[in-house]
Amino acid sequence: MVELAHSGQPSKVDLSIKSDLSLAQERARPIDWIGYVFVSFFTVPFLLFNILPVLFGSYIAFTEWSIVGKPRWVGLANFRAALSDDWVVNAFHNVLLYGLIIVPGVTVFGLLAALLVNQRWPLSALARTLFFSPYVVSATVIGLIWVWLLDTQYGLVNHYLGYLGIGNIEWLTSTNWSLVGVSIASIWWDMGLAFILFLAALQDIPRDLIEAALVDGTNRFQRLFFIVLPMIRPVISMVITLQMISTLRIFSQVYVMTDGGPAGSSDSPIHYIYDAAVVRHTFGYASAIAVLLFAVIVVLTIVLRVVIKEKNRT
Amino acid sequence: MKSARLDLMQILKDRNMTIADIPLWLIGMFIAFLWSLPFVWMVSTSFKLPQDVMTKDIEWLPHRFTFGNYTKVFEYPILHWAFNSIVQATVSTGLCVFFGAMAGYALARMRFPGNGLLFAIFVASLMIPAEVTVVPLLLAIIKIGWASSYKALILPTVGNVFSVYVFRQFFLGFPRELEEAARMDGASPFRTFILVALPLARAPAIAATVIIFTLNWNNFLWPLLVSFNDEMKTLPVGIAQFAPVVGSHTQLEGFSVAMAAVTILSVPSLLLFFFLQKYFIQGISQGGVKS
Repeated sequence: MVELAHSGQPSKVDLSIKSDLSLAQERARPIDWIGYVFVSFFTVPFLLFNILPVLFGSYIAFTEWSIVGKPRWVGLANFRAALSDDWVVNAFHNVLLYGLIIVPGVTVFGLLAALLVNQRWPLSALARTLFFSPYVVSATVIGLIWVWLLDTQYGLVNHYLGYLGIGNIEWLTSTNWSLVGVSIASIWWDMGLAFILFLAALQDIPRDLIEAALVDGTNRFQRLFFIVLPMIRPVISMVITLQMISTLRIFSQVYVMTDGGPAGSSDSPIHYIYDAAVVRHTFGYASAIAVLLFAVIVVLTIVLRVVIKEKNRT
Repeated sequence: MKSARLDLMQILKDRNMTIADIPLWLIGMFIAFLWSLPFVWMVSTSFKLPQDVMTKDIEWLPHRFTFGNYTKVFEYPILHWAFNSIVQATVSTGLCVFFGAMAGYALARMRFPGNGLLFAIFVASLMIPAEVTVVPLLLAIIKIGWASSYKALILPTVGNVFSVYVFRQFFLGFPRELEEAARMDGASPFRTFILVALPLARAPAIAATVIIFTLNWNNFLWPLLVSFNDEMKTLPVGIAQFAPVVGSHTQLEGFSVAMAAVTILSVPSLLLFFFLQKYFIQGISQGGVKS
């Protein structure tokens, strides 16, 4: 069962800020040349497979390159083509919609679930396990389960919505709903990470703070809005940022559930990149779209940071 | 009457609850129960006869059981895919954790020019989404003739920075007396690392292993890209073929077989998680990782 081990570990990256004393000791020590050997085992594959492809990819984005033949420098042509490609525009439009559904969905459900099972109540540990478990299975599992649950005719979701008088919704087979259907599955899958991060933050709130508020005669809602939420604010912004980045990269569940369809209504940029590279072998074009997606991720992350900072100031 | 009330109060008190907590507790349990239903439905469907699946009545507990769906799954090269998955996830995780431990240890313990810079590069690289590297990597791997090979499946997934990070943090906060004693006794840096430091780092090693293993086991995009034939598919990629007719996919079998396949696929991940939850959660709340 999930017993949150005391997460007293620093969660921020500690970029070796040391005290003057230990710095002085450090300087006195001779240089460990063997250190380069120790780091090389990891660094060589890291440079080859994580860093080099970024540079290589930025280069091929400016070329026309297929599996056979040599690259041909085409300048900005790929980018120009991408920006006027309706399918690319559609994929980026969709991914923003995915973000607008999945990011709030994951944040709200994750926070709600964490608040409800935060106390040491009976069965809380079991409930924590249940909330987190979808996060550990693969996209194939998520995708196939939800294709079945969201089946128009015989799916469980439409069956129970029927009791509420809601007619059969074509979750995955209509252009209006396919994006929503994939989003529902994604929220179920991704919520576990947000949940665990929120739970760790809630457990770190000092007990005395809550007890002092109890003595002052505050009610539940006052404690939630004036103590708990302000205390975990940094984690809320971290969850929103992480989830936004991961949603902009949505691919596997789209591939398994709808293959981007019908008529591109659930397509995402990565799915389109996959099509361009693997199906049509236009590697230069696919790389150009990847560079555009990277730019969108960086810009949105910066915007989000600024917005969160502004809010914290007021 | 009064004593019954007192009993209730006592029962609640033993469980850290007040009467006002009960509705919240019930809501929490109810949502957690709902959250688990997709898995229950998956297992339930996997034991149904095909003609009992597409029905208007919802049968949570099948009135007749069959293992037929599972035998059907094994008509596909699922053992081959499982073998590929095991090779890929084990080798990749092993290399990543061992190399990561060496690098994390060196970054935390050794003094050499560029130490801080290297770590900064590792952390900054987390900003780069894997998808930006995927197209050029794929092209390069096709060009050098590595397509559909274990090398192509494994090597690009070794450089997961999470492992370095976990070990560096651990060794920064752990006293170095034992290692220094070993060095005094004349042990080489490698012997000290393998025989003294690494055994001390059991907790971060398990945390890094379970998390990176899960990421590798579930990895979808990269194995999908590099496996050009059925032979080299991993379990998640192979089993994705059981998806029904949507878009350009074609359905192989009905939902009952598909659910049997995903039950087989999810059981190892869920078991690993249930037994090693503590490490999972430590690792995740420490690193805030995302595949």
